[in-house]
Amino acid sequence: MITSKIKKNISMNNISHRGNPNQCKRIRNWLYSALSRHVNPEAAWLQNHIANCPRCRKRFISHSRVNLALSFIKSQPLNLSLLRRANEQTINVLKHSLREVPKADKLRQIKPEPTLMEKWSRHIQPVGNLAACAAVLLLMKTGIFSSMDGFQTRGQKVIRQYYAKQVGEDLAEEIFPSDSIPSS
Amino acid sequence: MLDKAVSCRTLWDFIGSETISEDQRWVLSTMHRYGQELVTMLWRILGNEQDVCDAYQDTFLQLAHYEGGRKPDYVKAYVFRVANNVAITMLRRKIAERKRLSNSTVRTIEHSPFKELDSKYLQQALRDYLAQLPEYLRNVVTLRDLAELSYADIGKILGISAGTARVYRCKAIQLLAVWMGREDLK
Repeated sequence: MITSKIKKNISMNNISHRGNPNQCKRIRNWLYSALSRHVNPEAAWLQNHIANCPRCRKRFISHSRVNLALSFIKSQPLNLSLLRRANEQTINVLKHSLREVPKADKLRQIKPEPTLMEKWSRHIQPVGNLAACAAVLLLMKTGIFSSMDGFQTRGQKVIRQYYAKQVGEDLAEEIFPSDSIPSS
Repeated sequence: MLDKAVSCRTLWDFIGSETISEDQRWVLSTMHRYGQELVTMLWRILGNEQDVCDAYQDTFLQLAHYEGGRKPDYVKAYVFRVANNVAITMLRRKIAERKRLSNSTVRTIEHSPFKELDSKYLQQALRDYLAQLPEYLRNVVTLRDLAELSYADIGKILGISAGTARVYRCKAIQLLAVWMGREDLK
C-alpha cells in the first residue's frame, strides 16, 4: 500500500530516474511521512501485536524503561547558579591576563538564559487563547444570527397560517405578502 | 575534589603562560557561547554540581592548551567531545568507587518490584550502563538525549552523517534496553 502510494506520487510528478537533489528530498519526505503513518508507536496494528506477543511486549517494556530513565534525568532541575559557579571556577585557573578581561567578569555573573523556544512558548499560549476566543466569538455570532433569522421566518409563517385560517387566504396574502417572507 | 582543582592549577602553572598565545579571548567567547549547553549536558551525565564544575574546568583547560594555545578548527565539536569524555571518565571513576564501597559494606538497597518506578534507581542504572557503552554509541546518546543537539549537529561534531548518527542512537538505545532488562531479571 505504501509503495503504491509512492509510485503514484512519483508518476504524478513525472520524476525521472536521474538524480536531482530536490526530487530526492521530496521522495525522502514522502517515504518518511508514509512510513511514519504506518509505523509509529501509536499505530493500532502495532499496539495489537504488542498486546499479544510476549517477546515484543518485553522489548517494548525495556525500551520504555530506558526512555523513562532518560526523561527522569532530563527533568532533574538545574541550579540557576551552576553556570556562574562553573565559569568562576574555570576562569580562576585560567591565565592571569584572561582573568582581568571585562568579559571574564561578565561570565562570572552570567545567568542562564531561556532558549528561543522557551521564550516563544510564553507568547504561544496567549496567542492560542486569543485565536480560540476569536473562533468561539465567530461561531457564536454566526450561530446566533442564523438562529435569529430562522426563528423570525418561522414566526412569520405561523402568523400567516393563522390569519389564513381565520380571515382567509386573500386577506392573509394582503397582510403578509408571500414574497416578503424568506423561504427557510 | 579540592585536590583535583589544586592539581589542575599546578598543571597550569607548570605548563607556563609563555606556551600559550597572548590573546586567548576566544576561550572566553567559547565559554560564553556554549557554556550553558555544556553545563546542562554535564549535569545530566554526572548529576552532581561539584563534578559538573570540575568537568567544565577540565574541558576549558584542555581547550586553552590545545596545540600550544591554538584555536581548534571547529571549537564546538572540540568542547563537546572533550566535555563528554571528561564526564564519562569521572562517571566511571565514581562507579568503580561505589562498587568498591558496596563490596566492603552490606548492601542496603533491596531489589523490589517497585524499583522500576524509582527515579533515582533508574537514573543511576542508566548512568552506569551509559558509561559501559562503546564510545561511538555513547557519544551519540549523550549528545542527542542529554545535550539535546540535532542529528545534523551531532554529525558535524562526530564527523559522521546525520543518518549514521540516527542508526547509532537506535543501536545504543537497544543495547541499553537489553542491559536494563537484564538488570530487572536479577
